[in-house]
Amino acid sequence: MKCRNKFGNVVAGVCLAVFSGMVHADNAAGNNELPTAASFYTNNYQLLKSQSVNSAPFLLAANEGNAVQGQADLTPAAPAAEFSPPWLTGRKAHQYLGLGTVLFAGLTAMAAPGEACEHNCPAQPAPRETSGTTHTRLARTTAALAIATVITGLLYHWDDFHLEDGFSDPDNQHVMLAGTGALMMLYAINKSAKSSVPTSHAGIAELGAVSMLVAIKLTW
Amino acid sequence: MMQRKWKIAALLAVTLLTGSVYASAEEYSLDYDFLSWLFDFQRTKGVKPVTDKQYLEECGACHFAYQPGLLPAKSWEALLNDEALRKHFGVNAELDNDTLKDIRDYAIKNSAGNSWYKQSRKIAAATEQGPAPLRITELRYISRKHHDIPEKMIKGNKDVKSLSFCDKCHTQAGKGVYDPDTVNIPHYPNWDGWFNK
Repeated sequence: MKCRNKFGNVVAGVCLAVFSGMVHADNAAGNNELPTAASFYTNNYQLLKSQSVNSAPFLLAANEGNAVQGQADLTPAAPAAEFSPPWLTGRKAHQYLGLGTVLFAGLTAMAAPGEACEHNCPAQPAPRETSGTTHTRLARTTAALAIATVITGLLYHWDDFHLEDGFSDPDNQHVMLAGTGALMMLYAINKSAKSSVPTSHAGIAELGAVSMLVAIKLTW
Repeated sequence: MMQRKWKIAALLAVTLLTGSVYASAEEYSLDYDFLSWLFDFQRTKGVKPVTDKQYLEECGACHFAYQPGLLPAKSWEALLNDEALRKHFGVNAELDNDTLKDIRDYAIKNSAGNSWYKQSRKIAAATEQGPAPLRITELRYISRKHHDIPEKMIKGNKDVKSLSFCDKCHTQAGKGVYDPDTVNIPHYPNWDGWFNK
């Protein structure tokens, strides 16, 4: 129990640090004059559109011809710098977390304790361990990674999936498969953690991991 | 016993998943071998880069050589013929018959519907019905991806001017990579906020 609390505190601490870091980066990043993509997500987009900070000249709309003619001088005179993509972005974090989830799911499966005793069994079997073993620790890490992957996916790829694009759209397939896979793994972990007797949970967890793997491949 | 049942269920589910991907492959009627794609670990997130020298030279002489995977085959059929090229967006871009045939064949073979690349698959799905789009910037997928970019960053930006100049902001457009992480809008280094990129 003590170990579980410690683990929970560590996960909560990491999540808080990550989110406050993201908010700080978002606030510090930039150009206060312009709304950021995050502000579109965290605030009501239509409301923002109607506010003065986001008035007509800021919106690209649909490539209409002469909406900003004569405004070329609005461009600030900043020197062009050599561009190299940042090593860590929200989207990259989502990618690494997703790959990490699948990797840890594999490690969890490999660290699973063997089958229950079939021959020469002791009269009193040892109590089932639902925490403190390598398998349970790896499983909980996998769960934390899966949750972080889903959260970062929602934050940084929220504009990639649209229901109107239908089932054949690769991003929609990715969301459905990865989301379902994460839920299956969480269900399996929860089911096993709450049971005092051996319980079947490997299949559903493995299925969840495979589902996430297919989701990754579809948008790789 | 229960574990074995779950394993069988997992195996069945994997078969179903593979089957559904295979089914979508058939739906797209791709030339590209499904198994090659499945076991190819190279990233195919954007569009397939242009590999044809003639296409690069002829199209790239006047504008960015847009990857064929950015439009469906019906668009390339409408764009790459004698009559259309005489009035190619207001410019006479006629080609000799052999060159035109080669370029047209290459474009159709690598068009959105014939590609496994993710953005091409999205474009193919979005343009399956309706008339052939003639401008990449008219595609619903493309306009949706750019709708929240302030106009002054593109049209009001003397180093960009139009969405048509993909490579002005997409620093790896030539490689078929249109990932937001590789975008650098001239004069607006923090266009999307550091951590939002």
